[in-house]
Amino acid sequence: MAAKEPMSGTPDPVVDAYKPGIDRTLIRENLKRSPEERLRALEQLQAFAEELRRAGKALDRPNNR
Amino acid sequence: MNDFERILTSLRSADVAFVIVGGVAATVHGSARLTSDVDVVYERSRPNIERLVTALKPLNPYLRGAPPGLPFKFDIETVRRGLNFTLTTDAGPMDVLGEITGVGDYRAVLAVSEQLTLYGAPYQCINLDALIVSKRAAGRPKDLEAVAELELIRDEKLGKM
Repeated sequence: MAAKEPMSGTPDPVVDAYKPGIDRTLIRENLKRSPEERLRALEQLQAFAEELRRAGKALDRPNNR
Repeated sequence: MNDFERILTSLRSADVAFVIVGGVAATVHGSARLTSDVDVVYERSRPNIERLVTALKPLNPYLRGAPPGLPFKFDIETVRRGLNFTLTTDAGPMDVLGEITGVGDYRAVLAVSEQLTLYGAPYQCINLDALIVSKRAAGRPKDLEAVAELELIRDEKLGKM
């Protein structure tokens, strides 16, 4: 039996409530990239987030207060 | 740091039957949200489980969040007895899933996947509509927020924005 394609188009008020807060310009910029470029950008963002976490932990150490 | 290429290439090189799902699939479709792990749905035949275990062994998979020293081995029997595994690996966190909420097992996910080229090789990735279904079915606040962005991406691709 062939798998049935699930439906995804039913409106959801909770989902719709999130939409005004989403930066559509970021979506448009991402869509200009290839899928591989999007993954590379995600890896770079993860590395940046990790560096921010490291810096934040360093700030919390007592000798930095 | 995550090394998506290493994880995906390891699976592909071992001929593992799998489909990319979750946050990485969202990124592939254009999401700007930060995700930390690679989620894949794998086919649960014994030969494929053997290939999966062989492919991931060099990455030293271990249960994510579990204390060190547990008698956990990511081997064929462990995978056969279980279904979904949240792992940490030398190439970053990874979820190895026998099925996903809202869509189903490998066969069902494969039926709603599309082929794309990453790192010079073809991979199967869940399509945008099915990804939205799976995120909706998961139903956590972060999933619903992700659905909002994915629906805007779909609108953008359809020229509705």
